Amino acid sequence: MKNKNLPNGTRDELGVQAEAKEVVENQLFQSFRRRGFRKLTTPVLEYQDVFKPLNQNHYRPYQLLDDQGETLVLRPDLTLPVARVMSTTGIELPVKWYYGGDVFRLKKQLSGSYNQLTQAGVEIVGYGGMKADWECLTVALSGCHELNIQSVVVELSQATFVDTVMAQLPLPSPTKVTLKTALYAKDLSRYNHLWAPLKGSEYAPFLSEWPWLFGNFDDILALVNTLPKAPRITKLVDQLTATRSFIAQQFPRVDTTLDLSVPSPQAYYTGMTFRGFTASSADYLFSGGRYDDLLTNFQKVPVAAVGVAFDIDALVQRQPLRKPDAPVLIYFENDQWPQAEQLLAGLPNATLCLVDNQAAAEALAASSGSQLIDLTKSR
Amino acid sequence: MVPIKIALTKGRTEEQVLPILEASGIDCQGLRNKRRRLIFKEDPRYEIILVKGPDVLTYLNSGAVQVGIVGSDILAEQRNSQYAMLDLSVGKCRFVLASTEAFDPHQQRRKIIATKYPNITKDYFQRIGEDVEIVKIEGSVELAPLVGLADAIVDIVETGNTLRENNLRIYAKLMQVNTKLVVNRLALKQFRPQLRVLMTNLQRADAKFAAMNLIDSYAK
Repeated sequence: MKNKNLPNGTRDELGVQAEAKEVVENQLFQSFRRRGFRKLTTPVLEYQDVFKPLNQNHYRPYQLLDDQGETLVLRPDLTLPVARVMSTTGIELPVKWYYGGDVFRLKKQLSGSYNQLTQAGVEIVGYGGMKADWECLTVALSGCHELNIQSVVVELSQATFVDTVMAQLPLPSPTKVTLKTALYAKDLSRYNHLWAPLKGSEYAPFLSEWPWLFGNFDDILALVNTLPKAPRITKLVDQLTATRSFIAQQFPRVDTTLDLSVPSPQAYYTGMTFRGFTASSADYLFSGGRYDDLLTNFQKVPVAAVGVAFDIDALVQRQPLRKPDAPVLIYFENDQWPQAEQLLAGLPNATLCLVDNQAAAEALAASSGSQLIDLTKSR
Repeated sequence: MVPIKIALTKGRTEEQVLPILEASGIDCQGLRNKRRRLIFKEDPRYEIILVKGPDVLTYLNSGAVQVGIVGSDILAEQRNSQYAMLDLSVGKCRFVLASTEAFDPHQQRRKIIATKYPNITKDYFQRIGEDVEIVKIEGSVELAPLVGLADAIVDIVETGNTLRENNLRIYAKLMQVNTKLVVNRLALKQFRPQLRVLMTNLQRADAKFAAMNLIDSYAK
C-alpha cells in the first residue's frame, strides 16, 4: 500500500474519545424518542441538486459521479435530505423526525479544520404555530441540561427582521443592498458611511447601533422601540418576547440574548432562529429555526417546518473525558469458558484474556497494569 | 476578566499599528522591547501574539484568538468569513496589473499572469471576462515578466518605486488594500462589551492618526 495516511481534514476516533461521542449521541437519541420523535436515516450519498439551496461558499461538498454521469455529493447537511424525503414519499403530516450522522464539508486545506462533522437533531414538519418552535428549543436546552453543560446562552434571532426594517428606510434600493451587505459583514467603516444620509432622522438612534444589535434582550428591544411603529416589526418582536418568557419559565437558568443584525442562516428560513453557546465554546452547540420554505426546492406548496441540530463534536468537547481504568483480565483454559463468561457478566470492567498460556497472561497483565484473575489456579 | 487575544501581523503592519494601539490606551511596552518574544501580556485586558499575516485567519478561525489585525489583501486571498469590522488608516496600497513596456493587454491570446495572490487574480480576470493562466510565485514577483516566465504580474504596490526600478509599468489598477481589524464571529457574542470598548478606542485613535497624516501630507 502506497498511501497509508488519512486524507486532510479527517480523523480516527479511538477509545475514550469515540466512546464519549457514542454516549452523547445515545443520550440525545433516547431523549428524542422519549418525546415521541421517530428516527429517519438518509444515505450519505445524495444528488447534488438536493443541496442547491445551501450557500455553496460555506458548504463546499465532496463530489463524485455516478455511472450515468450525474453529480453525487457526500451530504454536507442533514436537513435538506429530510425535505427530500418529505416531498417524495407522501408521508402524512404532521410528523416529528429525529436523525443523526456525519456531514462532509470541504474546508481550507491544512487549516486544522475537520471536513467530517457529526450532527444530531430533530425536524417538526406540519405544525405552523409557535409551539413547534418552542418544542425545538426545549429539545435543544433539555439536551444540553442532560449532558450537564452549564451556562448555556440561547441567542434568538428573526430571519425576516433585517429585510422588514430595510423596506422602511427612506434610502435608494442600491444603497439598501450595500448597507445590508456592510451590516451583515459588520464592516463598521463602510456601514457608517452608508447610513450617514439618515443622521438626524427618526431612524438615526437605531441605525447608529444596528451592527451592535446583539446581546442583552431588553437593551436590544429598547433600541427596536425607537423605530417608527410598524405592525410587521411589532409582530416579530412579540414572537421573540413570548419565546423569551417561555425559556425563562421552562429553563430559568438559561440566559436568553437577541441578535437582530445577522442574516438568515439559509435562504429557506422564514421565522425565528436560535443558536446556543457557552462562554468557553469555540463553536455553537446547537442551531435551528423555522424554515417554512424548506420544501419549496422540491415541491410547489410550502409546508411549515422547524428544526434544531446539535454539533455533536462541540458537545463532546464539553464532556469531561474519563481516564479509562485498566481492565481486569480473566485467564482460563478452553473448557473453563462458561465459568469465564459468568465472571465476565458480573464484573463491570473485565475482559477475557485470550492468550494461550499462563506466563503470557501474567506478562500481559503486568505490561497493561491490569489485575489478573487466573481461573486455572482453582483447578 | 479573561483577556482578549489579538493576533497581530508581525513586520510592517506591527510597526504601523503599534502607535494606534498605544493611542487607544493599550500598554504596548512589551512590543516596543520585544526581542524574540511572541506573546505580550503587559496590558491585563489584552494578550497580543505576533504571527505572520497568512496565519492570522488560521488562529482566528479556530477560536485561538478573538481578534486579528491583518491586511485586506490576505483577507481577500484567503476568502475570509469572519467579521472584518474596522478599516485602519495604515497599510494603504493597491493591487495592480503590471508588466514591461512590450506587454500588450489587448493581445488576443491566453496570457500568463504571475502572482502571490491567485484568488484575487482569478477574481479580477473573471470580472473582466478574460481567461488567463495563473502562476503562483512566492516572492520577487517583478522578475516574472522580465525573465519570460509570465506576460504580466498582479501584485501590491505602495509607491510604485520597485516597479519603476525594474522597468515595469502599471496597466490596470485593481482593488485597494489597507489594514483591517477582524473579529471571530462567535467571540463577538462572547466578548461583546470588551470588544466594543476596544473598537471604539481604536476608531478614535485611528481617526486622530489619519488626521495627523493628512496634515503632514499637506505640510510636505
